[in-house]
Amino acid sequence: MLPPRPDPWPLVRRVRSVSWLLGGSALALSAIGLVVISSASADMSTDYEVRQSAWIALGLLVMAAAAAVDYSFLLRYAFWIYLAAVAALAAVTFFGHEAGGARSWIGIGGFGGQPSDFCKIATVLLLARHMAEAQAPVAPRGWLWTASAFVVLPVLLIALQPDMGGALMFVPMLGAMAIVAGVRLRSALIALGVAAVVAGAIWVFALQDYQKDRLSSFFRPHADPLGSGYQVRQSRIAIGSGQMLGKGYGEGTQSNLQFLPTPHTDFVFAVLGEEYGFMGVTVVLGLLLLYLGNGVRVALAARDPAGMLLVVGLLAFMAGHVLYNTAMVVGLLPITGIPLPFLSYGGSFMLFCCAATGLMIGLDIRRFVNI
Amino acid sequence: MSLQNPTREHSSDWVLLNMAIRLKWLCGALGLCLAVVVGAYWYHQIVRAEHYERLAENNRLRVLRLDAPRGLIYDRSGRILVENTPTFRLMIDRSRSADLGASLAFAAEILDQEERELRIALERHRDVASEVPVLLAEDLELTQVARFEVSVPEHPEFEISISRRRLYRHSFQTAHVVGHLGEPTPAEHDREDSLAAGDLVGRSGVELLRDRLLRGNHGERIVVVDSRGRLMGEDVRRTDAEPGESVTLTIDLRLQQLAESLLADKVGAIVALDPRDGAIRAMVSSPSFDPNSFGGRLSQQDWDRIVDAPGKPLQNRAIQNTYPPGSVFKIAMVVAGLAEGLLRPEERIYCNGATRLYDRRWRCWQSGGHGLVDLRGALQHSCDIYFYRQGIKIGIETIAAYARRLGLGDRTGVELPGESEGLVPDPEWSRDHRGYPWYPGETVSVAIGQGPLLTSPLQVAVMTAAVANGGFRVRPHLLAGGGEPPEPLGLDPEVVSFVAEALANVVENGTGRSARTPVVAVAGKTGTAQVVAQATWTRSEDLPPDQADHAWFTSYAPVEAPELVVVVFVENGGRGSEAAAPLAREMHEGYFRAAAKT
Repeated sequence: MLPPRPDPWPLVRRVRSVSWLLGGSALALSAIGLVVISSASADMSTDYEVRQSAWIALGLLVMAAAAAVDYSFLLRYAFWIYLAAVAALAAVTFFGHEAGGARSWIGIGGFGGQPSDFCKIATVLLLARHMAEAQAPVAPRGWLWTASAFVVLPVLLIALQPDMGGALMFVPMLGAMAIVAGVRLRSALIALGVAAVVAGAIWVFALQDYQKDRLSSFFRPHADPLGSGYQVRQSRIAIGSGQMLGKGYGEGTQSNLQFLPTPHTDFVFAVLGEEYGFMGVTVVLGLLLLYLGNGVRVALAARDPAGMLLVVGLLAFMAGHVLYNTAMVVGLLPITGIPLPFLSYGGSFMLFCCAATGLMIGLDIRRFVNI
Repeated sequence: MSLQNPTREHSSDWVLLNMAIRLKWLCGALGLCLAVVVGAYWYHQIVRAEHYERLAENNRLRVLRLDAPRGLIYDRSGRILVENTPTFRLMIDRSRSADLGASLAFAAEILDQEERELRIALERHRDVASEVPVLLAEDLELTQVARFEVSVPEHPEFEISISRRRLYRHSFQTAHVVGHLGEPTPAEHDREDSLAAGDLVGRSGVELLRDRLLRGNHGERIVVVDSRGRLMGEDVRRTDAEPGESVTLTIDLRLQQLAESLLADKVGAIVALDPRDGAIRAMVSSPSFDPNSFGGRLSQQDWDRIVDAPGKPLQNRAIQNTYPPGSVFKIAMVVAGLAEGLLRPEERIYCNGATRLYDRRWRCWQSGGHGLVDLRGALQHSCDIYFYRQGIKIGIETIAAYARRLGLGDRTGVELPGESEGLVPDPEWSRDHRGYPWYPGETVSVAIGQGPLLTSPLQVAVMTAAVANGGFRVRPHLLAGGGEPPEPLGLDPEVVSFVAEALANVVENGTGRSARTPVVAVAGKTGTAQVVAQATWTRSEDLPPDQADHAWFTSYAPVEAPELVVVVFVENGGRGSEAAAPLAREMHEGYFRAAAKT
């Protein structure tokens, strides 16, 4: 008997609605992001919407590539990928050029990118493999500590840049993966205690004054109307004055008259709130929820613990960014540099989001078979 | 997918199932967090929407005031008395100053002022938002403007704005008529919404009288600004300012200037008006002040210096101060006596220089006496003895009634604020105000314009105008087209023409000879008013300066068809015939020479 003829498109035929919804919501969010960026950056010298279009195009390629790669292959080499990512991160941290007070950019064809975004995926891969091994009948003891150590290394490097927001986003990732992996309550409490001590040490030794200012101004935004509380206040005014339906494209006075800080990156959601109102906010949050929900469906359908943990880790990063960014621009959390997935302008973060999406799609189409 | 090892397979499913359950719990937690976020947006965008809309509009819109230029003031022939001139003002945008103390020190150095003064100036604007530029200093010199302009890179907080300042072209010469500006009181600010901080309002004279009209209505520009306060795009709304209306006065600038120069180093007042309608042609009070010094904000010291200056320059002696009229009051005496039939022109009285009345010795100013004088002669020589005796005959009630009818002891109704009433005394007044009865001897004093009698130079002008215009009481006015038609006093025209002829005779042959001029026929009456009651008769020249007699001269010309009444009053000036009459002559000459040319 002849072996069956090889199927030339084995993967594409397995793409089901979950993947279409994942990719589709990502694309829709990117499109909305483009519109808002073009409005917010109308008076700026750089054509951010053109650049972002290029990043989205590149992102689609990355998404397709990530979907095509077998994740088990990536998991097998997770440790080496992690090492490479951390090495790149360390290189940037200690030798990268400074921009805006933070040493995080490496030049990629003049666009610039952040190895910290690449490091996020690498860390999730390593943790997924490590925690999946803990699911074996004879589980290695103390896996939470090794996992934490894997996280602490890039977090410290990122915090040193200094990029507090980027470092902070590793926390929900580790937490979500540990919970899904079935961490014991006692271990979790001990880990939290240690984390608290470390956080205290960071406040005392590592935080820059401006970062302390940002954190403390969160608690009293009116104390210094022109200082760091100013951004929160202006962002809230932008959002609140958007009302139900918003002021319309290009009509946002807060963003176009430069009352909003960085309206095209971290505060893009405030621009959306001002120009498209509560309606626009709801639609975008709905799309983000659709994205995350379908991600969860992929996780639930995963055929092995490593795959599920991989998706959970990526989703936790995404959800962390979404929650923190939307809460921060409305003044629920202190202002720090955390972009909104798919909407904020930014190359390497867009590539991270697309890669994560591609990985999830790839996982989904391999849910039944070993290919 | 193999079935060879069911236990392992089962175990793996069980692990995945447990992981899935924990994942679902996490999803629940995520859902809760998202709900909180959505709730926050709902709260800010729906519940507090209007609050934030207002804040956004406040951010974006700025109201800029468009000042209305204050109206100009002209004399009767359209010569400018008061106008506006550009001035440079220093504004400070406190939000752009890195260190306010350093900014003020920098400005103080350029302005050559104490930093403390600037701090006080800034203190007035404490309630104004810090990004709104506020006034720091006015009337900068060009060199100072230049120094601020070149320092913009280091001191972007300073802005130079061009504004208008009031310019009184003839400063001292027209001060009491046009008045001056000052800062409104807090009560005025409350009453009038249109007044903004830094506005000046009329404080005296025509500036006060016509303040609302002169001020006009300021306009408004509502502009869009960005976060740094830069203007963006077109105005949202613009209401142009309505310039203040101009005011034309009845004043004749040339005559006014002449009057001011005549009083240059004297204390007193000169009033000139048209007896036909009461239009004031000149009104000068000396010493005067420079209203330009009130154009900006005045420091307390400057203010005190002006108010307390010797001679009280802010006082308008033409209407605010009252003095015993002395012999110019004899005009009223004659009108009263003739109108009531109590005086007969041909009746003669013998004057030997003194007489005894009511157990007191009364002197005539001419110690040798005038001999036999009739009414005309009594006016011509201003014989006191004649009027002492006739005063008793006419009686104080009649004297007072006619004096008031002629306009003495009563406000003339001129538009300027602060006019004094003066006093024409009678027994009723004595009872009501002094609390004791009228002494018959006081009638003797009043008969020659002394005693409690007090009149202002303008009141004397009104009385004189009634003689000049054939018996009408005019309403003196400064605003062109103002005033009211003269009221008939109900006097017999023959009485008036007798007085008029007698006054012409005074200048022709009597005490008023020094007012005689070839230019025009003048009629008039001198007055020399005693300032203090004297126990012994002392020549005025020998008295200390502040007790010297007040010199009066009231006059009109031309005798045949009077066009101009001139009253000259010189405080402690001595004899009216010597200190006042020559000034009146110059006034008439000046006026009628100019009239002859045109």
